[in-house]
Amino acid sequence: MNGQIGVYVCECGPNIKDRIDIDKVLEEISSIENVKIAKRSPLLCSVDGKKFLAEEIKKEELTHLVVAACSPRDHEKTFMNVCEESGLNPYLFQLVNIREHCAWMISDKDAATSKAIKYIRAGIKRVAFHESLEKKQLEGNPDVLVIGGGIAGLETSLSLAGAKRRVHLVEKTEFLGGMAARLTQLLPQQGSKLSLIKEKIEQVKKHQQINVLTSCEVADVRGFLGNFEVVLKSNANGSEEREIQVGAIVVATGFGLFDPQRSSDYGYGENDNILTALEFEEQVGSGKVLLKNGKKPKSVALVHCVGRKERGYCSKVCCLYMLKFAHYLKDAFSDLDVTEFYVDLCLPHKTDQEYFEEAKNKGIRFIRTEEVKVKGKKEGIEVEYRTDGKTDAIQVDMAVLAPAMIPSEDTSKLASMLNIPLDRTGFFKEVHEILDPISTPIEGVYTAGCALGPKNIPESIVQSQATSGKIFSSLIPGKKIEPEVKVSIIREEFCTGCQTCLSVCFYGAISFDPVKGISRVNEAICRGCGSCVGSCPSGAIRSKHYTYPQLYREVLEALR
Amino acid sequence: MKARTEMKKQNVLVIGAGVAGMEASLLLANAGMKVFLVEKDSLIGGKTIKFEEVYPNMECATCMIAPKQQDVLQNENIEMYLLSDLGKVQGSAGNFKVTVNKKARYVSLTNCIGCGACYEPCPVSLDNEFEEGLSKKKAIAVACPGALPNIPAIDPENCLHLNGKKKECKACQEACMFDAIDFTEKDETIDIEVGAILVATGFDMFDVTALAQYGYGKFPNVYTAMEFERLYAQNGPTEGKLILRDDRALKSIGIIHCVGRGEQGYCSGVCCMYSVKFAHFFKHKATEAKICQFYKDLCIPGKSHQRFYEDAHDKEVAFIHYEDIQVEELKGNLQISYEDGNGKKDSFKADMVVLSPAMVPRKETERLAKTLGISQDKRGFFSTQNEQLSPVTTEKEGIFVIGCAEGPKDIPDSIAQAEAAVGKILSSFQ
Repeated sequence: MNGQIGVYVCECGPNIKDRIDIDKVLEEISSIENVKIAKRSPLLCSVDGKKFLAEEIKKEELTHLVVAACSPRDHEKTFMNVCEESGLNPYLFQLVNIREHCAWMISDKDAATSKAIKYIRAGIKRVAFHESLEKKQLEGNPDVLVIGGGIAGLETSLSLAGAKRRVHLVEKTEFLGGMAARLTQLLPQQGSKLSLIKEKIEQVKKHQQINVLTSCEVADVRGFLGNFEVVLKSNANGSEEREIQVGAIVVATGFGLFDPQRSSDYGYGENDNILTALEFEEQVGSGKVLLKNGKKPKSVALVHCVGRKERGYCSKVCCLYMLKFAHYLKDAFSDLDVTEFYVDLCLPHKTDQEYFEEAKNKGIRFIRTEEVKVKGKKEGIEVEYRTDGKTDAIQVDMAVLAPAMIPSEDTSKLASMLNIPLDRTGFFKEVHEILDPISTPIEGVYTAGCALGPKNIPESIVQSQATSGKIFSSLIPGKKIEPEVKVSIIREEFCTGCQTCLSVCFYGAISFDPVKGISRVNEAICRGCGSCVGSCPSGAIRSKHYTYPQLYREVLEALR
Repeated sequence: MKARTEMKKQNVLVIGAGVAGMEASLLLANAGMKVFLVEKDSLIGGKTIKFEEVYPNMECATCMIAPKQQDVLQNENIEMYLLSDLGKVQGSAGNFKVTVNKKARYVSLTNCIGCGACYEPCPVSLDNEFEEGLSKKKAIAVACPGALPNIPAIDPENCLHLNGKKKECKACQEACMFDAIDFTEKDETIDIEVGAILVATGFDMFDVTALAQYGYGKFPNVYTAMEFERLYAQNGPTEGKLILRDDRALKSIGIIHCVGRGEQGYCSGVCCMYSVKFAHFFKHKATEAKICQFYKDLCIPGKSHQRFYEDAHDKEVAFIHYEDIQVEELKGNLQISYEDGNGKKDSFKADMVVLSPAMVPRKETERLAKTLGISQDKRGFFSTQNEQLSPVTTEKEGIFVIGCAEGPKDIPDSIAQAEAAVGKILSSFQ
């Protein structure tokens, strides 16, 4: 290399000055090959310090810059900005942390000084191999595709359209509203009625910014944030296909319900008066809660946690809607005997417990059980339960089962089409379960509502509004998208086409070119994590700014 | 409607810099809005930064949150007001006029580099509230190692120079190499104009001293969950060592769920999970210890939580359902006496008892609600317009409430609410 490297050691007030012999450091490093100049400065992050650095870059005609100072968390960005303003590509810079790693760590000044020399030498040797990296800018389409016309899809569409975004809302069935539209009451504490869902459906249908496509499915998706091409297939008129362009996609495909017939414990199908929660809800909606023979029920069992054991999780909403059912029944027939069989009451929202206590005061019986079996017989229904190790049973006219919420049937198909992962329960997986609960690993693809896992209507609405918040802040009309600069690249001549990299890429940035028999990285999608670099058996992939020569020389010098 | 199209719509006030407030601020700032972030403490990050690890993946909370804190502090569109409080609020959506009362920090945010040279010479020793009183701090201090911004603040009530008890004491100023300490700094009142207001003030913990049956304050080895979090934390008062207040070896631990649930009238939704997390903690640091969890209802909703609970199960961890419970002392040992749902009575000897208290509204809620002209629900949390269909919108247009200020919830739900409020603001103000 024929570079001119400038090395600047920051005194950081007394923090580095008092604990490291900076003159000795400068003496040692100034003789290293390609080091044009090595200097000290009292506080490089200060206004004067930055000005000094900028002047030095120009005056000394530096091609590379090393700053020995604090943690990159504190000031890497500061010094990269100085480079940029002084006409030096910011990637031709290396920050060496001699404060946290040397000065603050080691009380012996000689030891701290010799460690600092090693680290700075490592930085100098590394920076000599740095290459200029240029930021790219891509146009982004601000339009959004929303998949699923349930409550989450409706809310997402309205929220996006409110900011004048063009929305394509695709719904597989003929109707909007999803599962919520099949309920009689939403949250009965507040008397929220179905009409509220109907109002939302009407708003969506009327909205000029929302293109509603019912009886329609997504057939294929290609592209990345800001530039997705989507093939839609209409089921209405034969199977007509069309293509649309969008910048982001929201998956709001909802949930399915556990089939109680998968276990003989619940007696479903054995007696006509054993109903699922949804069947019961529809009966309530029709205005008549009656036995199949048309008679009024005298006793009803409400059985929680149906399928929880099989699925391995609690569905969160069943306890509350079973309380709602108890209220329905008691309001309709006050002399009715209602018993709830539960394992643990899951009432996590602030208003839930009060609702439970109201139910208790209406004379509803609650039995905590370890195990429940519902047996449908010709003459009636028997609920056998075990509590505190003892088995007991009661006879009822009607039993309502609360089945677990499970992933909707299209989940895995959509996951492979969109290249987004599923978690162990079969729902879509969040990119980060805690910090980023509605994003997927594919930038520009978001999920909302029960497609991610069981949740109630308010939580689905929150997640839907959240997707719009994320989209408004990452895909802004008129603003270019800047993809990651430090991406992976595959050298064609070394790639054997084994496709190992495809399986490790969390972001779906790698595809296989069957014509050439090699893998390719889409630089617009790659986030530079480096997983593929490590996985490649033939060493064909390198990561910009983390190349083998850069890392090798850096480590070598640090260990020397 | 006309006011909305003026420039003020581009400004948003966010009250509280916990996870919810930070998430909302970052999204708004990235969307090109100007954010005024008001935080009453001298640091940002809220309660989450007190936790060593968070469920269900046992990730290091500080490592998770620190990059967000840095982003907030470095974002040019976010103007931070630390040690600050909301004064007056006038106007309506699109055009609020707000005063912010900012207390003096006495340490310059631009000059200080966080070297900590000023702590040692300070002669004052105080209980560290951030550490739940488990350690001491000086009158000039940061809350804990790793606090962000990593810049101390002077407590004017206890600083000998500022409270006038020893005017000549300038020990910290003499120790500072960066000219960062300014005793002449004054409290300020700042007027700002914003289009929308986001309330993200978080929660308090139920005061367990109110309930004598748990023996908190009476028996030294009864801890609250928050105290235990700090005891376990590497950057906490014991550097993560589980040392009891009376130095007793830790062989058995009782964790009591639902403390204050009856009094508050609701389940806080997160205590079961963090109590199960404590069992995971003990498996790391008190491997031989016997752990007993006393619960009323196990509330472990969501797709990944049951597995976390099942993973905590082994021969050393028992889960017992209780209806009634009491902590007593017997021959120098703690004893938990309980009655289960079937009327059976039994007891458990413990070296340490951890109480998992209910999450309650912050004590400032009432005053803030009045200032903002929004209402509280009967539990004292901020209420929303319609819990079912408009979960983050208050009855007053342009004011939103997110995170635990609205009611108990976990971190991801708080973050989703923050993102939702941003969606609502940008959807209605663009």
